[in-house]
Amino acid sequence: MNIASKMIVVLSLMGLLSGGALAGVYKATFEKIKQNQLEELKRAIFIVLTKAKDYKKIEKDGIVVYEGLDENKMPAGLAFKAKGMGFQGEIGMMVGLDSELKKIKGLFVLDQLETPGLGAKITTEDFRGQFKELSVEPKIVYVKNVKPSKPNEIQAITAATISSKAVVNILNRDIKKVEMALKKGD
Amino acid sequence: MEKKKQNLFSIFTNGLWNESPTFKMLLGMCPALAVSNSATNGMAMGLATTFVLIASAFLISTNRKLIPSEVRIAAYIVIIATFVTIADYFLKAFFPVQSKTLGPFVPLIVVNCVILGRAESFSSKNKLIPSLLDALGMGLGFTLALTAIGIIREILGAGSIFDVKLLGDWFEPWIIMLLPAGAFLTLGIMIGIINTFSMKKATVGVDFGDNIGYMEKDKIISTESKFLTSEEIKAAREKKPKAKKPLTKENKTD
Amino acid sequence: MLINLFLLFISSAIVNNFVLAYFLGICPFLGVSKKVDSAFSLGIASTFVMTLTAIISWAINHFILIKYNLPFLQNVSFIIVIASLVQLVEMFIKKTSPPLYRALGIFLPLITTNCAILGLALFAALRDYGFIETIVYGFGAGVGFTLALVIMAGIREQLELADVPKPLEGAGITLIIAGILALAFMGFAGLISV
Repeated sequence: MNIASKMIVVLSLMGLLSGGALAGVYKATFEKIKQNQLEELKRAIFIVLTKAKDYKKIEKDGIVVYEGLDENKMPAGLAFKAKGMGFQGEIGMMVGLDSELKKIKGLFVLDQLETPGLGAKITTEDFRGQFKELSVEPKIVYVKNVKPSKPNEIQAITAATISSKAVVNILNRDIKKVEMALKKGD
Repeated sequence: MEKKKQNLFSIFTNGLWNESPTFKMLLGMCPALAVSNSATNGMAMGLATTFVLIASAFLISTNRKLIPSEVRIAAYIVIIATFVTIADYFLKAFFPVQSKTLGPFVPLIVVNCVILGRAESFSSKNKLIPSLLDALGMGLGFTLALTAIGIIREILGAGSIFDVKLLGDWFEPWIIMLLPAGAFLTLGIMIGIINTFSMKKATVGVDFGDNIGYMEKDKIISTESKFLTSEEIKAAREKKPKAKKPLTKENKTD
Repeated sequence: MLINLFLLFISSAIVNNFVLAYFLGICPFLGVSKKVDSAFSLGIASTFVMTLTAIISWAINHFILIKYNLPFLQNVSFIIVIASLVQLVEMFIKKTSPPLYRALGIFLPLITTNCAILGLALFAALRDYGFIETIVYGFGAGVGFTLALVIMAGIREQLELADVPKPLEGAGITLIIAGILALAFMGFAGLISV
């Protein structure tokens, strides 16, 4: 066998073996990986909708929301993923709203790449707790260095205004999007 | 048999210190800086890389006679990329939290110079057992280095180690340590410190002229005016001091 | 649309510089940044490969991997593309401009193991960029890489005349400088919300 054909044979064989091995590993881990993702989703939903014991996925107009269901299978709020650009990277959150989309029930940060110790404080209970029972009308507003005085105000993290602002903007934008999609055709 | 055993063991320990991929050979820098922001991350990345090292060393060494030389780099890359993908999916399935934190750097193990470098310079030229030992040594050396950097950055940057809070609330963390700048600084200083120790073997002897020579036990080893690494000292020791005249005051002719 | 692309370019070249913010391309950054000329040449060659890689990897991703549901082949296929591209570029330069080929020397094959190239292909795929966006992203990454390399080379050329403590010579001082550079570039963070 001359060099050229040997090269071709070896490379093709390797390609096939590699592809086969990878396809096998993919198949073997597919279920587990999907399960992991579902677990994470479920955990996030139950964190933001404290009364929910189960949930139902609703898709409408390209928006995905999860309706929480309490132990009597009655609606216990709506949760959805909100994401957008933060200070250093993308921020992904799970937001829980009441069924009328008037108040936030809970907030959980799924992914963030903000500055550790500063912007990353958006994951702390101190910051997120402000969003519980927060009114979203007309929109969420952040204030600096003073205590919030209105039902739709939260206080930005000191020295992390940009991250706090990003969270507020993302929430306002995505809540409007969900509102539009759900109210349409109602 | 005794010599062979000793040789095998030294192949293994080579990667741990003498030719430490991170501190001496300066390979695999990208992950060393990127995921060493905590001890756990550093260790996880090191272990994943070790897995790929050993697996690819196995395949490459056993097939080294079958792979034509012209396509060997392509072949190694395919083998390495396959194992990296396997490691990636394994992490995603069984260690989802770690997989998320390490993020896109797991696939980047493919271009980790350590793996390709060892494949090219060792596994492709040696039998199975030595190759496996070399891979294991290099991998563990890499893991140790990453974990060490991770420990330092985590303690200074978050006051914890392996996610266990070590320093109390009195400690104001040096956030910079968790950021890219801190990574560069930590590694740079660590290399500096390690070099200081490795270079202590020779002592500097100064002539009254412009020559700075390196002496060991009163014997001039080299007249190069720089710090010698242990390998260079060894090489200079073996080389007979030829044309250069000894640096004594009597011999100074110019 | 054009504004968005421009912001994306600035983002990948400066704000989220591949070397100083994402730790990609460190090996050539440490190894080849001693002289401004060679740093610049390597940077240009890498930018070229990066842009081409961006195009081809996007094509493979969309027309093959996604269409036939083969996400597990992403790593292998991308790296093969990169290795082949580098090989082709090397042959092309050898044929068309032997002086350039001699000048670049060993650097060309080293582009294959540049984490920045595989990194940009994977990031672009992860963030689901469109075709034009991927090209701009790849080009921006290359420019940023070249920028970091040239800055470091310029500093190191000056360092030759300075009195660096012996244990820090070489890698040590380069890394410390890189740290200071990274600190400086942090000032750009938040400049663009892309």
